[in-house]
Amino acid sequence: MSVEELSDGIFEIDLDGRKTLATKNIMPGISVYGERLFREEGVEYRLWDPRRSKLGAMVLKKFEIPLKYDSTVLYLGAASGTTVSHVSDILRDGLVYAVEFSPRTMRDLIQLCDQRPNIIPILADANKPLSYAHIVEKADVIFQDVAQPNQAEIASVNSKYFLEKHGHLILSIKSRSIDTLASPKKIFKDEVHKLEGGFGVEFEVLQRKELDSFHEDHLGLVARMFVDGE
Amino acid sequence: MVSEFTVWFGRLTLDEAGELIDCHPFEKNPDILAERLLELQEGGQKVPATAPDLRRLAFDCGFVDMDEDYDVLLRDVCIRAAKNRISSTDTDDVRIVHAVEALDDIDKNVNELSERLLEWYGLYFPELELTGEPLSRFVLAFGSRANVPDDHPLFEKASKSMGSELSFADEELLRSFASNLCSLYDTRRHIESYIVTGMGSLAPNLADVAGALLGARLISIAGSLQKLASFPSSTVQVIGANRALFKHLRSNTPPPKHGIIFNNIIIKNAPWWQRGKLARAFAAKISLASRTDFYSGKKDPSIKEKLELKLTAIRNANPSPPKKETKPGGKASGARGKGRKKKGGKR
Ligand SMILES: C[S@@+](CC[C@H](N)C(=O)[O-])C[C@H]1O[C@@H](n2cnc3c(N)ncnc32)[C@H](O)[C@@H]1O
Repeated sequence: MSVEELSDGIFEIDLDGRKTLATKNIMPGISVYGERLFREEGVEYRLWDPRRSKLGAMVLKKFEIPLKYDSTVLYLGAASGTTVSHVSDILRDGLVYAVEFSPRTMRDLIQLCDQRPNIIPILADANKPLSYAHIVEKADVIFQDVAQPNQAEIASVNSKYFLEKHGHLILSIKSRSIDTLASPKKIFKDEVHKLEGGFGVEFEVLQRKELDSFHEDHLGLVARMFVDGE
Repeated sequence: MVSEFTVWFGRLTLDEAGELIDCHPFEKNPDILAERLLELQEGGQKVPATAPDLRRLAFDCGFVDMDEDYDVLLRDVCIRAAKNRISSTDTDDVRIVHAVEALDDIDKNVNELSERLLEWYGLYFPELELTGEPLSRFVLAFGSRANVPDDHPLFEKASKSMGSELSFADEELLRSFASNLCSLYDTRRHIESYIVTGMGSLAPNLADVAGALLGARLISIAGSLQKLASFPSSTVQVIGANRALFKHLRSNTPPPKHGIIFNNIIIKNAPWWQRGKLARAFAAKISLASRTDFYSGKKDPSIKEKLELKLTAIRNANPSPPKKETKPGGKASGARGKGRKKKGGKR
């Protein structure tokens, strides 16, 4: 068995010839969503299933993930926290603000927050960033996976308000939430175009790739925000 | 320009550059902070143009003096706030479902029992033309018709009745039977007002658009507000039409046009040729209202307003029944012709 750190807190592990993704479990002994735990040289890892996580799939699709061990992250569309739990592992010295607007889903997320010290749950609509402006501080990274028709707009308004200068946006775009009939390629192109200046902020797209074989009709994207006068 | 900004830990006065001019930190009581946090979330206060550095401001303000304290307290407060909001939304819909189903149970029992009372008491006072609740109240109040006082409007009928005499034992029995029925009627009213109040907080938009009882019934048949919110409006339209729906699936009868939303007065009282269109418009807004309730929980009066506009438009556009297609020389207007074609094509 060999363990290689791909980027801060994200590991690729060779388990009997099969490569898998994992994060260091900051809560040893606890599996969050039924994922396997295992030990290597005294450290416990949690396997990270890319089929259940857009971010996981992006790692395997060779995205450079801009998360650092001490980042402050605003996570939009936290759901019950499958991916958030791995982000929480990665940010061993950071903090993730997890926004989710469905009260039922929030209940599961709260259980996760009860266990982990670095997740702040916020029950709110990501369309209305001002409804959590009194809670959330400036973020180094905004991660968004909301499956809504106006994904580019949500990402833009949140970035405009909360993202640090030169901060990064990690975005998963689901074409079928935008239009079930049009071709995904065309939708992705339109959304990226909107991001590049449609809503009063501008991004430089660093990487974009479809997440197929893990998530159909999804585009992954990493971008960096431009600042006025550059 | 100086601006005021209330944040989770205190009231701040900031200058243009976002620097602290003045500050009132709140007391470090997590429960109170959580409550205020939720109020602020609803409040829609003016905020600075871009996020100020809340953490540094909390230090400047003297609220905390270590990163770790900030994290620990904020996390505690946010968890409390989220739990509060969830526990109030979450069990509500289960309670409403029970209440609606209890209403149906009561109705079933009340129907049987009042039917029984009608026939039974009819032996002793066949001329009495009361049924339902008035009958039960009458029997409870007087028992034997001999007890009806002479200033009572039914005194005449009671004294001339051809019914048999009521023995003391039978009178006692009938009175206690009627008394039980009356308390069922009372409970029923009690539950109804419970549903109206409960729906006002659980699903204010649905209650506004469909009425509290119909709204509660839709939630109950769907299973939960979440499920109702997830249905397309074409399904909402036929909720409760189970029998017609199964018949449609089994044999070749046309699919049901209306489920229980057809019970709504607006549709019931409409002329037959408008009902389908009205029901469709109604279902669409009910669906929107339940989604708004489930996801945002905030009242949006514009849903009902738009529904009213739509209903009026439908009424105005369809003032008279469509003419039969076979009539010679039919001067069917373009719009009507289209409607007919669509209907024929589906068969
Ligand atoms: C595809 S799931 C996210 C899965 C999650 N990122 C993971 O990998 O574990 C999308 C989530 O976004 C939430 N959502 C959708 N629209 C939202 C909005 N406007 N504000 C906040 N959350 C939203 C949904 O309730 C749902 O839980």
